[in-house]
Amino acid sequence: MQPILKIDLSTGATEEYRIPEKWEKDFLGGASLAARILYEYLTPDLDPLSPDSPLLFLTGPMTGTSGPTTGRFVICGKSPATGLWAESNIGGFWGPELRAAGYDGLWITGKASEPVYVWLNGSRVEVRNAAHLMGMNTYTTQDKVKEEVGVKSARVCVIGQAGEKQVLFASIMCDHGRMAGRTGMGAVMGSKNLKAVAVRGINEIPVFDMAKYKKLRSESNRKLHDDNEAKVIREVGTGGAANYAEYLGAMPVKYYSRGSFPEVDNVSGAKMTDTILVGRSACQGCVIACGRVVKLPKDATKRKGPEHETMVGFGANLLNDNLEAIVDLGELCDRYGMDTISASNTIGLAFHLYEKGIITKEDTGIELKWGDVDAIEELVRLIGSREGIGDLLAQGSKRFGAHFGAEEEAVQVNGLEVAYHDPRGVSGMAISYATSPRGACHNQSDYFFVDWGHSNEELGIEFFSRHAQAEKAANVARHQDWRSVDNAIVMCIFANVEPKEKVELINAACGLDWTVADMMKFGERSWNLKRAINNRMGLTRANDKLPKALLTPFPDGGSEGFVPDIEAMLIAYYQHRGWDLETGKPAREKLIELGLEDVAEDLWG
Amino acid sequence: MILQVFKGFVFKWYNYPNNILEVRMPAIFPSEEWLKGLEEKLNSDERYAEIAKNWEGDLFFFIQPEGSLKEQLTFYLDLWHGKCRKVEYQPQPDSYPTPTFILTATYTNITAILSGKLNPMTAMMTSKLKVKGSMGYMMRNVPTVLDFVRVAQDVTTEIL
Repeated sequence: MQPILKIDLSTGATEEYRIPEKWEKDFLGGASLAARILYEYLTPDLDPLSPDSPLLFLTGPMTGTSGPTTGRFVICGKSPATGLWAESNIGGFWGPELRAAGYDGLWITGKASEPVYVWLNGSRVEVRNAAHLMGMNTYTTQDKVKEEVGVKSARVCVIGQAGEKQVLFASIMCDHGRMAGRTGMGAVMGSKNLKAVAVRGINEIPVFDMAKYKKLRSESNRKLHDDNEAKVIREVGTGGAANYAEYLGAMPVKYYSRGSFPEVDNVSGAKMTDTILVGRSACQGCVIACGRVVKLPKDATKRKGPEHETMVGFGANLLNDNLEAIVDLGELCDRYGMDTISASNTIGLAFHLYEKGIITKEDTGIELKWGDVDAIEELVRLIGSREGIGDLLAQGSKRFGAHFGAEEEAVQVNGLEVAYHDPRGVSGMAISYATSPRGACHNQSDYFFVDWGHSNEELGIEFFSRHAQAEKAANVARHQDWRSVDNAIVMCIFANVEPKEKVELINAACGLDWTVADMMKFGERSWNLKRAINNRMGLTRANDKLPKALLTPFPDGGSEGFVPDIEAMLIAYYQHRGWDLETGKPAREKLIELGLEDVAEDLWG
Repeated sequence: MILQVFKGFVFKWYNYPNNILEVRMPAIFPSEEWLKGLEEKLNSDERYAEIAKNWEGDLFFFIQPEGSLKEQLTFYLDLWHGKCRKVEYQPQPDSYPTPTFILTATYTNITAILSGKLNPMTAMMTSKLKVKGSMGYMMRNVPTVLDFVRVAQDVTTEIL
């Protein structure tokens, strides 16, 4: 592997960190390797927004190799929103550029005494003053930094005003609207006074056996291009499944309180394609091209169109069926640099509490009526600038609810807002949300795809009814292990690359001789390591739970009356995982079996 | 629910409002009779008529040879507003030059769908059933697709 560039912003010192050889094989890269590297630094007492808090940008062994959807990287640390393990996966072109500069990762520590940005031009590192960039939005910041470094092809990772002000769900953006949205990594970057990181590289990206890899990637990309799911995503975006999700009662409506949204077609990927779509965008080397480029009737500007989460979050979740308004709201969040899931979810809680009379206009300063686009926009602005009620909303739904004595109304797990796949419609998501290492996340296991029918015989991921209960627990665990592989290498979860193909790509890229079983064992190791990090930081079995709303049956829709039996699911899940039923920790024997002896020692003495 | 199967006839008891006992000729897949049986059922099934009331589009099914099937089979169906306007067994490909969809699957996979062993969504999501046509339209109409499969399963009495 190439080294990781370590920069201490407090002192300006830099060093090249070499990854221990054993870790290269056992943890590969991306989120798994980040977890191994950061394990000793993520302690219970660590304040995620302190100078001591690490911020690690890490690529995978295939990043930038034009393999199937491998233009990605991951940003990891300790989440200011959850106090737990943080990882946020992002596409674009920045990761490949970093590898071309000769580094597989960038490890930021300390805190600059004044706002700065980093300019990494090949192996030359400069820490430059960024005082004049403060207050700029994410797009303007990228343009300005590119202009200043004088290299048009430089790639820039930035935070917006939300990151500067440490909104707990602030994101990090690169390229045209590609976001590391979840877990508040933008706030961590902001806490370090780091506004941007610009990178330029010209080296060839290393691959162990390029001749073999080239052949494999061509075949894999060709198959992926013609894959049905890839065709759906390319043609209608990730919002293409909106109608089906609504039909199943799996689309959160009115802050998770309704099971149907008859206006769904107005805010679907198909509608966007029919009306405002003018182009598509892709991350480096990607043959899917999920990114949407739209034009609104109000002007001739080409803009980023929303993906599924933004469409539901600012759509059905808030009873808004105005697609053009959703485009604007998504863009506004992007410009401030904040996660659209957490932002729209927390705003949904505000509307919900307002309707219940728990908060009033005296608290909010504005009237909150479901579907009122102006009110939604005003709240986004207040959050991004941390003004008025926005200062409270900027702390996320858990803290916002708690402030008004209504934490149980917040639809979140461990401080991370639930994504827009309702487990009452796709029950596997109950386990995914309750056990994800970063809170209620759909990217650690997008099990809703399996509940729709995307099984995988080779991995033993079978198809169960979308309303099956504990009997699918082991299946979810296998899916989490599978996704842990993707999050390590770092491959997009939209890529249907069959297990045998994937392991051959890994072997060619890394010089390994893994089997599919070895790859899944690797995934299991990664999952357990992240769990252990959280256990060390205080997570127990009591944290594995679902919010009240998701355990309340829908009054209508395609999943009327159903609720997941989360307790039974968790017992079955723990038993399959080899986790202690009392504490929720991976058993000593399990950790040793996975080669995590030092972790076993830490957790069990 | 199948009540009883006799040689040459199948009796099925459907949940029609008046509990009509339906007597139908056997529909052995793949055959021209099966396709005609499917057409008939699509035009008489109230549930399909309701769910597919907005569907507009004709389609080709290409069944690729495998196992006992030695040559490719082609079915054509013209589906419109909850009805089936036309079917054709082994049409000339240029008879219908611009079908809305072309669905392609191996004989094993198509028979697995018809026998209920392979979930139709699984078939689509894992590309065991390849789809050519507007994916947006398909995604808007998944319930219609699933109900079409239900009807096709319903008319299939035997698979060769």
